[in-house]
Amino acid sequence: MGVRRVAIVGYAQTKHQWDMPKTREDMVFEVAKGAAEMAGVTREEIDTVINASSDYLDGRTISELFLTMPSGAYLKDYTKTEMDGAFAALYGVMKILAGTHDVALIVANTQGSTFNPHQVSYHMLDPTFDRQLKVLNDMAIAAIQARMYMDKYGVAEEEVAMVSVKNLWCAAKNPNAHRKMPGVTVEDVLGSKMLYEPIRELMMSPVSDGACAVVLASEEKARKLTDNPVWIEGVGSSQDFYVRDRNLQRLEALEKAARRAYRMAGIKDPFAEIDVAEVTERYAHEELMIYEALGFCEEGKARRLVDNYVTWLGGQMPVNPSGGALGADPITATGLIRIVEAAKQIRGEAGAYQVPEVRRALAHGQAGICAQSNIVFILGGEE
Amino acid sequence: MWRNVAVIGVGQTKHGRRRDVNTAEMISEAAWRAIEDAEIAPEDIDAIVIGNMQGFGGICQAELWAGDWIGAPGKSVLRVATGGTTGGSVAQAAMYSVISGLYDVVLAIGFEKHSDSKEPGATTGLAHVGLANLFYMFNYGAPMRALFALSGGVGAAAGVSSYQAMFYMHRSGCRIEHYDMVAAKSRRNAAKNEYAHLQWPNCTPDDIAKTPMVAYPLRFGHICPASDGASAIIVASEEIARRVDRPAWVKGLAACADEENQMGENAQGVGILDTSEQLQCRIAAMKAYEMAKIRNPREEIDVAEIYQPFPHQELMYAEKLMLFDDGKAWIALEEGETEIDGRIPIDPSGGVLSTNAIGSSAMQRVAECALQIMGKAGKHQVPKDVKNAVAHGWGGSTNFTVVTVLGDAPRR
Repeated sequence: MGVRRVAIVGYAQTKHQWDMPKTREDMVFEVAKGAAEMAGVTREEIDTVINASSDYLDGRTISELFLTMPSGAYLKDYTKTEMDGAFAALYGVMKILAGTHDVALIVANTQGSTFNPHQVSYHMLDPTFDRQLKVLNDMAIAAIQARMYMDKYGVAEEEVAMVSVKNLWCAAKNPNAHRKMPGVTVEDVLGSKMLYEPIRELMMSPVSDGACAVVLASEEKARKLTDNPVWIEGVGSSQDFYVRDRNLQRLEALEKAARRAYRMAGIKDPFAEIDVAEVTERYAHEELMIYEALGFCEEGKARRLVDNYVTWLGGQMPVNPSGGALGADPITATGLIRIVEAAKQIRGEAGAYQVPEVRRALAHGQAGICAQSNIVFILGGEE
Repeated sequence: MWRNVAVIGVGQTKHGRRRDVNTAEMISEAAWRAIEDAEIAPEDIDAIVIGNMQGFGGICQAELWAGDWIGAPGKSVLRVATGGTTGGSVAQAAMYSVISGLYDVVLAIGFEKHSDSKEPGATTGLAHVGLANLFYMFNYGAPMRALFALSGGVGAAAGVSSYQAMFYMHRSGCRIEHYDMVAAKSRRNAAKNEYAHLQWPNCTPDDIAKTPMVAYPLRFGHICPASDGASAIIVASEEIARRVDRPAWVKGLAACADEENQMGENAQGVGILDTSEQLQCRIAAMKAYEMAKIRNPREEIDVAEIYQPFPHQELMYAEKLMLFDDGKAWIALEEGETEIDGRIPIDPSGGVLSTNAIGSSAMQRVAECALQIMGKAGKHQVPKDVKNAVAHGWGGSTNFTVVTVLGDAPRR
């Protein structure tokens, strides 16, 4: 990866929840301070701060404006990527690779309880056509996708529900997760409220408030800061066609993003070479599609990975041991949380949901409707 | 580590009231012009950086549906937005993308389509900058009138800027007449720029002085329009840039954020009271010049494109960019030094005062500097040889600054 290498040296996240009794500013301060403390850097040592939040989701123009002070960006290089925090992490990586910055603080935050994100998704549609129809939003389109995918490959509703069960069991073990339902069953998922056929409440991510921060550092700086850096071995991102113009049955942009990340990390057989994956699955069926796009199985065979407990905690390729987005989804923070959870697995800090002997982990973030824009990070521990 | 990169192509739409196109068509107009100008093929582009102010045209994440119009599918797309600085932040993100070595050719686009909002311009959008913070102060019993006055919340950007214009007059000793002169110069220059919005050939300071007072000391003629428009640049690695006749090399780039609120955090009254202080602009300028190895900006900068939706900002930021002594820019203005054929031309394109499609505005500053270096600025090309040009942008509540230095030779 170029001449320079970049490492994750610190991170922090909030306890994600509905209607957090904290202001946005307090929440951001908590994670920015937490990540810097873990990295052992003072505010003075941070060269650049990159925020990830959205004007629409925050219900205010220039959403990062009042976050300058709580994120410690006072008189510093400060910018915002108005999409998932994982993309902000990519920008941080680029600034460090450029040699112009040594330490980057990435802060992502959304309080979904402020402004209904599903209502926002309606504004993400083409205003000259789809918005005028007044029938589509992110959930409706995901339902169409789920039905198309399930029909094509003969996936049963029970199998989709199994993904929710798998992730919610894990979320119950994660102190930061929002939706905690220990012992939830397939019957519970299939008995939950029907939103858009075939998507039910427990097959969709919850609306959460939360924030996450990561400190990235150049190799030289990382060696001084920690004995346990987590290296960014590969990164790739790609945007797909707009929902109307794309084949919703597969995630082609994620395939491209993953291929780029694998090439950079020198991965030839992802299933064999990756020990754990943390992915952003806003819907249970989406996780199945993600397995296929990441090359964990052949097209249409993803359900077998769940049926045979391969991707469960304790399986051959655990996916979302933290509970994933079905466990907590503070929108723009969700992808960055995946990076943090992957880093925790490498450092052996995941506690009750730790996967044994993780050398290499994958983290995935997405933006847009039905995962239109995707980013994949490959993280690794010390050799 | 650092590798040299350059702007190899520039594309702009005609700015103004564009009811003839929708957002996707407008973006693609700028993008394809940049691609043609750079003489590359769309498939040569590795990644796209794009940005605007969400909500000003009532649209969210426009790149998701407009991306298909600019060849985005299959490419990495990064959305960057920072308020007024958006275009400059987008340009810098594209530059870092190539400097990092991850990509070789990146397309950067900034745009805005104000006329898609029902009320003129961005009034509602800008009112939402500080409104949410004012709400929890209401809970403490603070009266709305006092809060609006304190925060400059009334009148949105013009509200904030009228206080700043007063501070600057007090600090520098200049008069409203000088603001008339800056505004007249901008309108005249814009008349020479085919992409500009408010074009007024032979506009005089007297013409501006006849316009009604809006918020003292700012007259109607002092205030930028709310435009529709898009602008784009292509940033490429040194190897690719060498194929172009005269690329505009990126020599220095910096951004800096000061405290966000004139009242201080949570209105504790400890914030910056003099909004013409602009410490973050001085810091960004010093960093960018240091990177560009420019020791004496007054001698070495040949042209400046300053983000000045209000006339005092042209004078104030020219000083913060170290082109003049503090409080002395108006003297140079009187002497005609900042005219297109002057010693140090400022905003030969007409600047933001004449064209303000917010997401596009700070991008246009970079694009115009590139055009001046490439010698492609047409009727507003400055007559002298341009070796170094500085592009500036401000955003937030005038507390964000981006500074980019472009030059005719790569950074050594």
